[in-house]
Amino acid sequence: MLDLDKLRALAKETISRDDIKYLIGWRQGTYGFRTSPHFVGNLEDAEQLIFSPLCSSNLATYLTLAEKRPVPRGAQPDTRRVAIMVKGCDSRAVVQQLVEQGIKRESVYVIGCPCEGIIDRRKLEEKVPHTLERVEARWENGKIILDLPAGRAAFPRDEIVAGKCLTCRYPNPVIADVTVGEDVEVRGSAGFEDINWLEVKNAQERWAFWRDKVNSCIRCYSCRNVCPMCYCAECILDKLNPAWIQRSVNVSENTAFQLARAFHLAGRCIECGECERVCPVEIPLSHLNRKLVKEVSEQFAFTPGIDPEAKPLLAGYRPNDREAFIL
Amino acid sequence: MSSKPKIGVYICHCGVNIAKTVDVEELTRYAVRLPNVRVARDYSYMCSDPGQLMIREDIRKSGLNRVVVASCSPRMHELTFRKALLEAGLNPYYLEIANIREHCSWVHKDKQEATAKAKKLLQAAVAKVRFLEPLQEKEVDVEAAALIIGGGIAGIQASLDIANAGFKVYLVEKTSSIGGRMSQLDKTFPTLDCSACILTPKMVDVASHPNITLLAYSQVESISGYVGNFQVKVRKKARYVDFNKCTGCGLCAEECRLANRVKSEFNMGMSNRSAVYLPFPQAVPAKYTVDPQSCLYLTKGKCGKSPKCADACPAGAIDFEQKDELVEFKAGTIIVATGFDVFDAARKPEYGYSDYENVLTGLEMERIISASGPTGGKLVLGKGDGEYVPKEIAFIKCVGSRDKSTGNEYCSRVCCMYIAKLAHLVKDKIPEANVRIYYMDVRAFGKGFEEFYDRVRREGVRYIRGNPSEIYRRNGKLVIMVEDTLTAKPLEDEVDMVVLGVGLEPRRDAREVIDLLRLSQSADRFFLEAHPKLAPVDTATEGVFLAGCAQGPKDIPDTVAQAKGAASSALVLLSSGKVKVQAQISWVNEATCRGCGYCAEICPYTAIEMVPVNKMGHQVTVARVNEALCKGCGACAAGCLSGSVQQKSFMDSQILPQIAALGGKS
Repeated sequence: MLDLDKLRALAKETISRDDIKYLIGWRQGTYGFRTSPHFVGNLEDAEQLIFSPLCSSNLATYLTLAEKRPVPRGAQPDTRRVAIMVKGCDSRAVVQQLVEQGIKRESVYVIGCPCEGIIDRRKLEEKVPHTLERVEARWENGKIILDLPAGRAAFPRDEIVAGKCLTCRYPNPVIADVTVGEDVEVRGSAGFEDINWLEVKNAQERWAFWRDKVNSCIRCYSCRNVCPMCYCAECILDKLNPAWIQRSVNVSENTAFQLARAFHLAGRCIECGECERVCPVEIPLSHLNRKLVKEVSEQFAFTPGIDPEAKPLLAGYRPNDREAFIL
Repeated sequence: MSSKPKIGVYICHCGVNIAKTVDVEELTRYAVRLPNVRVARDYSYMCSDPGQLMIREDIRKSGLNRVVVASCSPRMHELTFRKALLEAGLNPYYLEIANIREHCSWVHKDKQEATAKAKKLLQAAVAKVRFLEPLQEKEVDVEAAALIIGGGIAGIQASLDIANAGFKVYLVEKTSSIGGRMSQLDKTFPTLDCSACILTPKMVDVASHPNITLLAYSQVESISGYVGNFQVKVRKKARYVDFNKCTGCGLCAEECRLANRVKSEFNMGMSNRSAVYLPFPQAVPAKYTVDPQSCLYLTKGKCGKSPKCADACPAGAIDFEQKDELVEFKAGTIIVATGFDVFDAARKPEYGYSDYENVLTGLEMERIISASGPTGGKLVLGKGDGEYVPKEIAFIKCVGSRDKSTGNEYCSRVCCMYIAKLAHLVKDKIPEANVRIYYMDVRAFGKGFEEFYDRVRREGVRYIRGNPSEIYRRNGKLVIMVEDTLTAKPLEDEVDMVVLGVGLEPRRDAREVIDLLRLSQSADRFFLEAHPKLAPVDTATEGVFLAGCAQGPKDIPDTVAQAKGAASSALVLLSSGKVKVQAQISWVNEATCRGCGYCAEICPYTAIEMVPVNKMGHQVTVARVNEALCKGCGACAAGCLSGSVQQKSFMDSQILPQIAALGGKS
């Protein structure tokens, strides 16, 4: 159980430092089960910081998203570090960004938050009615406690946490300058049983499954926007010349889009599940990502976002790599 | 940017190679109707002088500014046609080749379908050529020095040739003396020249040549740079003997506490040396080396009261304080002559090499036969009082060659003849000996080889066709189990000694060289040449050449010939002093580059550097292409996640119209 006072004290101490620009964390959202990213620039802001099973968003996205405004002539760019709160999965995003040199180690200050699982709002809303009241939540003895308007309710963790948390092998941050709270038990297995049901299908059946899902894609690009690994200055999807993917929303172009997104994440996806969480039409993108993770793990014995000194998988070559996939 | 594209299309019949399967007249009529095409012509041989003239004339007269040639693979004649464009005053990179031979006429039978496909290919080439941009070929200076890695006969020959042509040579040898495998051989087939007698003069020439810097007992540590400008770092390992003071007198070795107690590598472990040693009497440089693996002083920290070698040396050359030394220099070109390893006979356990002392390898037999070998050239078995002269001697060929079970499918090319030679030498020393050779095939392909094979048979050596399955010991003798496949009879052959004709293998440390120079290997794991027939000494890395067995098994004449070939290729670079670099290289859009460094990691030529740049006052890292190093392979462009790396002449904006044309309706 995390002590919020301690967290806030740490945040205050952190942002008081000369070498910290601001701190990125979470705060309670405006209604219901929502939480918001919170950019802490002063001591007052720090009072609102929280860390709870509702803090679903992966804040690492904001590390690369930060706008680099032109520096006036004669002025020095602000090179102070950005402090960021990360869960286990988020910390892997930070590591992978380091591997890809999207950020520099000396420009981030990582506050690790060991995490027992994040609530999947969709699963929760099946159990309790939607509410406009702000709801607070916390972990307690393997359960998740919610302060609902109707009173306190406790749910077994596995019933309401996100799918990614059930398979999570890295609940404790893999990189941190300072850690808040105690390390938690690793519960996920190293296997890929969760996608077995899809793997056993034949190609036609799998295509039928995906075609149906992709067909509903409205190309809002939320999955791309939220992804901590998608931070190209000019995305392939936005290019007009050449226009790799047409603007029209149909199965063909949608598939091209989803496949391009998946390919670009091969050996890079760190399974934070943000794409799936934000998808308004509920495409099970994590199945696609898990398949990639499985292939990468089986073919190259590689797990992205663990070792900041690692070479990017697809930029490296080892003579003993398996090449079973080469025709 | 140039004005509106005016395209000329030239369709080659290639005799009947294309015309037989593709309706070239129909293709020409089709080509004229394509957008921006001004002229379209067909001709029997476009690559011929009149064919090229046709192109040049049209460029001059009709003001063409783009050319498409529909012919064979661009690997054949792209350069030819580029030259034609250049001669007519057009940038040579305004050319696109539609390969309607290898990609079309040669792989199809149906004329109608092949013509339809040729149309597609042509249409795609026309679609692309419109967007091509002019490129400039640049030249870089060539450093007038060569690095030669490996001091065997290949390295020695290449060094001498280049040095004699007046250029500086750095010859790096890993062991303490040059000479390589050839120095271990006794006589050489088929002429029976004494190996040492023909090799040592060359070794001495190397040592005394004013243009050669010999770096023996040294290893190349790193190589950076590119053709014409390689930066080389060599580690000169500590000999613990002052190179300038040592006179090679050998008193240190005589006095060494471990005298005759360390196995001699040169004699294949069959005789002993001291911990301070000269590998063999004719070694070059004739300087002693302390073996850090066995020397008591270096391994234990003490050697009696004081090291005896140091006490004995009249020149005071022993220096245990010596440290490895790093030597740096520049070289314009590199020859890799790192040689081979002998197949480890222990990997064929059925032949009992590890178990029976009278089972020897060919190279061990060379040392035994040699007058400078462990027995002084006497062929005897046993030791001391038990010494006896073997009477029954068998040779087995293809041990570790032509054998899938060992992973070596190739023929080692030298075993047939070295075994014939050894058999001859055995008969020479012991005329009454019964010598037989078990073989699969006899490959006596070289000059004088068949004659020598014939001679050996006439001397009474028996050739028995059969691949022995096992060797075991019975009553103190070795028994070879084999089927004589010509008479289909199983044999049990009782002999005194067996010599295994072990093959040649890639060096076990080949990986180090590959990593240094980014070389490729062929399926047999030897270094891969750029083209098996037309560029047999070149590699994919420009300015790096291969010589000797590093490229594949070969005998001494072939090795020397290849070394001379490599030297001549290196000299072309050195004497011209300039080298043209690829024009179709990569280009980085620094505005969108996010500095991830994937391209730099992927690049097989280390041609991409990550450099800091100032973007609107922020220090960011972007990729930058070294134009001299880039070979235009396009790996970076394929690897770039953000599409910021593009390869000139293969930009997205150029190949997408081409792909679109292939996909669309014709």
